[in-house]
Amino acid sequence: MLETKLGSLRLANPVLSASGTYGSGWEGRTFSDLSRVGGLVSKTVTLRPRHGNPPPRIWETASGMLNSIGLENKGVEWFLADTLPKMRTLGPKLIINIGGETLAEFVQLAELFCSAGIDALEVNLSCPNVQEGKLLFSTDPRMTERTVAAVKRVANVPVFAKLSPNVTDITPIARAAEQGGADGITAINTLIGMAVDWRKQKPVLSRGIGGLSGPAIKPVALRMVHEVAKCVRIPIIGVGGARTAEDVLEFLCAGASAVEIGTASFVDPAVFVGIVDDLERLLTEVGSSVGAMSRSMLRNLPQPPPMHGRQAELPR
Amino acid sequence: MQTKLLRVRRVRDLGGDSFALEIDGPIPTTLPGQFFMLRTERHWPVLLPRPFSLFDRAADGSWGSFLIKVAGPGTKALVEQRTGEGVHVTGPLGRPFSDDVLEPVCIAGGIGLAPFLSLARRYRELGRPLPRLLFGGRNQAALAGIEDFAGIARVFASTDDGSHGFHGLVTQLLDSLLVSKVVQPGETVFCCGPDRMMHAVAKLCEQRGLRCFLSLETYMACGFGVCNGCTVEVQGPRFHGWPYSKACQDGPVYESCELSLH
Repeated sequence: MLETKLGSLRLANPVLSASGTYGSGWEGRTFSDLSRVGGLVSKTVTLRPRHGNPPPRIWETASGMLNSIGLENKGVEWFLADTLPKMRTLGPKLIINIGGETLAEFVQLAELFCSAGIDALEVNLSCPNVQEGKLLFSTDPRMTERTVAAVKRVANVPVFAKLSPNVTDITPIARAAEQGGADGITAINTLIGMAVDWRKQKPVLSRGIGGLSGPAIKPVALRMVHEVAKCVRIPIIGVGGARTAEDVLEFLCAGASAVEIGTASFVDPAVFVGIVDDLERLLTEVGSSVGAMSRSMLRNLPQPPPMHGRQAELPR
Repeated sequence: MQTKLLRVRRVRDLGGDSFALEIDGPIPTTLPGQFFMLRTERHWPVLLPRPFSLFDRAADGSWGSFLIKVAGPGTKALVEQRTGEGVHVTGPLGRPFSDDVLEPVCIAGGIGLAPFLSLARRYRELGRPLPRLLFGGRNQAALAGIEDFAGIARVFASTDDGSHGFHGLVTQLLDSLLVSKVVQPGETVFCCGPDRMMHAVAKLCEQRGLRCFLSLETYMACGFGVCNGCTVEVQGPRFHGWPYSKACQDGPVYESCELSLH
């Protein structure tokens, strides 16, 4: 009833942790039985250690929060030696989120993780907090396609492309990811926002801007998941403000095949298991399943035309 | 570690926007300086839990209390709760004050008094000498909670307006106690209070040859090490060259020499 598939990745249920909001899962292991979670998505791993941004890094907003962490992590070497073995003891499928500053770094990370043995890769093309003067990968369809294709060439597991909502139109980017061979799309990353301290007449966060997450962005995420679902044939991992089983079902209907829970795990470290239980109860009540709910809003819509017919739309 | 849904026992107004939120237990055994993440069951309009040191605790854990100064919607929602309403409680979390210091000089300001009640009780149970407590506030009303320390600490109060105890800042009180040799160079200070006061205390300790540990307050989303939001700038061997530290795991207690105090 709860099983779902993301390409060749089979999950016991569609509930995943989101990247950057549950560490490696290890930190939260005492709060609930994590083996019951569909999958764990790691915090973004980069090639070299990254110190991240100076504090203050977070600020609660109406029904959400801003963060500007800046991908603080100890780098892939540490992750492989220390973190991955711990994650393996937790039970769920392991989806490793990788972040490169260049295409070559993405490839290198993918190679390292694929030889270490994981269940899937999530390619972070969209962190809003680490620009360093470079273009965000997922604001550019060509970079998206090239990066995904390069990762795919070396990957022996499904590859999901995590996209940014901070674009005028997400559909060309989603199609570019599909064209590059992505096995799925994760939508969405955080929305760029700002909080202001009027007494100091300056932004609250040290870097000025941050990524908005939490229930406040759920309608935006649902809209974008639906838009992406209408234009690609690969599965979608919905993410953005989901915190209940009802939210998960909404994302499934809109076009997702699995859903990541992010900010809600700050609020309740044991949130995942509660959602899985509620999901089972709700689906039993209505006599349905995750498979039947997933993409149900798209069944009456025309299928997207074949991809090569769409390429002319991509800026070259 | 589990998050428990507990009930509000009562909320006591301590004046000056400060409150004692009393919660029916079970409240687990907690070391001085450790904290809990609290959030209201009602939730709306506040999303994230907020971190607080445990203040009082019944010996059997049947209830506990937290000192809360209203600073925004999150703290306001917590102190506006009525008896019987639900509070989600996660903890104890974090690294406490070092237990190896047998005769600490505790310095508190405002709700920074919280960690020292359990410290004073613990020291009495262990048969250690009474800890010294220096408690500073703007006026007498700002010294709420001090009465709980009768018999379990040597209390020295200071008020900015002279309405109670020493007339002056708590740093000036510390200096006067150094002169009268109640406090000696080489001793260890445990400090908790507003940032400005803690910085002043840390600076004075450095000048007077005292070791100083601070219990920091930072914005925190999760409390268990996954949000990376509560980081403070640090230095020293404990952090292996990493410039940031998570206050929820490495702290909230840091030695002042580990911090980049501006």
